[in-house]
Amino acid sequence: MTSESSYAVHVLSPVLREVPATARADMRVPVRIYADDELWSQISQDRSLTQAINVATLPGVTGFVYAMPDAHEGYGFPVGGVAATREPDGVISPGGVGYDINCGVRLLASDLSLESVRPRLEAVVHDLSRSIPSGPGRNPRLDLGVDGLDQVLREGCRFMLGHGWALPEDLESTEASGSLPAADPAMVSDKAKQRGHGQLGTIGSGNHFVEVQVVDEVFNPAAAAAYGLHPGQLAILIHTGSRGLGHQVCTDYVRRMDQVMLQYGIQLPDRQLACAPLTSPEGRAYFGAMCAAANFAWSNRQAITLSARAVFARAFGQAGGLRLVYDVAHNIAKLEQHGGVTLCVHRKGATRAFGPTHSETPERYRSVGQPVFIPGSMGTASYVLAGTDAALALSFGSSCHGAGRVMSRGEAKRARSGAEVRRELESRGIIVRCPSSGELAEEAPTAYKDVERVVDVVHRAGLARRVVRLRPVGVVKG
Amino acid sequence: MAHRKIRPSHELLDHKSEVQLRVRAASLPGLLAEAGRALAEVQLRDTPRPCPSPWRTIEVHSRDRASLLADWLNELVFLAETERWFGMEFEVTQADECSLRARARGVVLEVAPGVVKAATLHGLKVEAVPGGLQGEVTLDV
Repeated sequence: MTSESSYAVHVLSPVLREVPATARADMRVPVRIYADDELWSQISQDRSLTQAINVATLPGVTGFVYAMPDAHEGYGFPVGGVAATREPDGVISPGGVGYDINCGVRLLASDLSLESVRPRLEAVVHDLSRSIPSGPGRNPRLDLGVDGLDQVLREGCRFMLGHGWALPEDLESTEASGSLPAADPAMVSDKAKQRGHGQLGTIGSGNHFVEVQVVDEVFNPAAAAAYGLHPGQLAILIHTGSRGLGHQVCTDYVRRMDQVMLQYGIQLPDRQLACAPLTSPEGRAYFGAMCAAANFAWSNRQAITLSARAVFARAFGQAGGLRLVYDVAHNIAKLEQHGGVTLCVHRKGATRAFGPTHSETPERYRSVGQPVFIPGSMGTASYVLAGTDAALALSFGSSCHGAGRVMSRGEAKRARSGAEVRRELESRGIIVRCPSSGELAEEAPTAYKDVERVVDVVHRAGLARRVVRLRPVGVVKG
Repeated sequence: MAHRKIRPSHELLDHKSEVQLRVRAASLPGLLAEAGRALAEVQLRDTPRPCPSPWRTIEVHSRDRASLLADWLNELVFLAETERWFGMEFEVTQADECSLRARARGVVLEVAPGVVKAATLHGLKVEAVPGGLQGEVTLDV
C-alpha cells in the first residue's frame, strides 16, 4: 500500500494542493485538496488522500476530485469529498453519498436576544431535549403509517406543508424546496421503511444535534442582513439526516451494486465505492431511492423545526417565532448543470455553496449567495457563510461541512472522559443535554480540527465567504 | 506444522470516524458468532444487561464469505433498530461461503448507547490465518 506521503503533491497556492492524475495508474482525473499547511498535515496523517485518489478512479469522473479543508478518513469516499460524474457514461456511487443520506444542517433565527431569554434558557434547552427524541428514540406524534411514509418519501416538505407542519416560506428557504421530484418510494425497500417508521422528527446519534446559538460576530453586514442575522440574536442550529431509513437505502444499494459492478466492467480499489452507470437499472433505482431518502431527511428536519417552534412558543409566546434561514444537505448526489453539461455531483460531507447568480439560490438571497453552514465541534463556534459564483469552477459549487475529525473516537475517549467534557462545557456557560457520557467524550471539541482554520481556508480559497460566527449556549446531543 | 486453533476473540481498532472490527476464530461459524458478540459490545457498551430473551433463529444469504460477514452484521443492525433487540449470545449452527443459520438470544432495550448505522464493505475481508480465520469490517457509527 502506498503511504499518503509518497504521492506527488503539488502546492498550487497556500490553500490548494493537487495530486496529478499520473500519480497512480488507475486515476482518471487529478485530486485537489483545499488545505493550508496545518490542515494538510492533519489530512495527510490518515487515509483521506488515498481514499480521494480511489474516488478519482470512478468511471465517468470528470474535472477534479476535491477534498475539502475538513476532510478526514471515511470509508470509500473520504468525508469532505466531492466528485462529479458525467451523464450518460458516468456512475453513481451510494458510498459517495454515505449511509446518512441528506444529512444536513438548518438554521432557525429568532427575534429574541440572548440577554432577554437567559433566565429561561436552561428550561428551554431542557424542553427541546424532551420534545425532540434523540439517540435511537422514535417520535410517536408523527407516526404516519405505511401510506403516509410513502407520501413523505415522494413529496418531502410539500407533504409537510400540506399537513400544516411547514410554512410556505420554509420551503422557499430549503434546498430544492425540500422535495426532489425524482424520488421513487417503490425503490426504497420494506426494510428501509421499517427502519424509518416513527423516526420523523428525531435527531439520531453520533455527531447530530440541536443547538441553541447566539450570533457572536458579523463579518459581512450585507449578507448577514440578507439572512436576517444580527449580533446577540438567538438561533437554533439543527444537524441530522434520514435516520435508519437512509442507512438501509445505502446498505441495500451498496450491496446491489457490489453484485453487478463486474457486469458493467467496473473494477475498483475499494468495494465501498460500489457503483453502477447512472443510466443502468441499478443506477436509476438507487437515484430514485436516494432522492426519496433525501426527501425524508428534509421532512425530518422540518418536523424537528415544528417541535422547536412549539418549545419557543411555550416559552416566549408570540415573541418566540423561529424563521428558517436555510436548510442545506451535505451528504447527497445531485444532477446539476456545470458548464452546460449535466453532472452527477456527489457530496459526501460537503455542502453545496451556490453563489448569487445561480438559479437554485433562493430569490431572497440572490444579492449575496446561498447560505452555507459549517458547524464547529460541540461547544465551539459555528459559521454561516455565503456561497460564491466562483465556487462552481473551484469545487463544483461546494464547500466543507464542519470542522472534521482529527482524533478517532477511541482516542477521544482515552483523552478525556464524558464527565470532564460536560464540566468544561458547563463552565463556559453552555447547557448540555446528552443521554450518554461516552457520546460526549467521542464528540469532545479536542477530537475535531480547529473550525476557525477550516473556515479561514474556505474563505481564502473563495469557496464561500464568511458572514457570521455563532456561539453555542445550549447543546442537545443525539 | 499444525497450528493451534484460534480461540474466538475480537478487537475494536481505531478509525478516524468509525469503528473497525477485527475478529478471529478457528472456523467460519465461530468467526461469525464472535462478530455478533463484537457488535453487541459496540452497541451496548457498559449498559446493564438483563437476562437474555429466548433463542431465535436468524438466516442470512450472501454472495461470498466476506460479504456474509457484513450482511450478517447488517441483519443484526436491522433487528436492533426495528425491534430494539440486541443479540448477545450466538451459535452459528451452519455456515458456508454464502449463507449462515444462527441461533441467537439477546435483550430488548428501549435505549442502547452505541447506535450502529451499518457494516460497510470498506476494507472488508475474511482470510485464513494460522489456526483459523480472521475477518475485518468497518462499522459506520
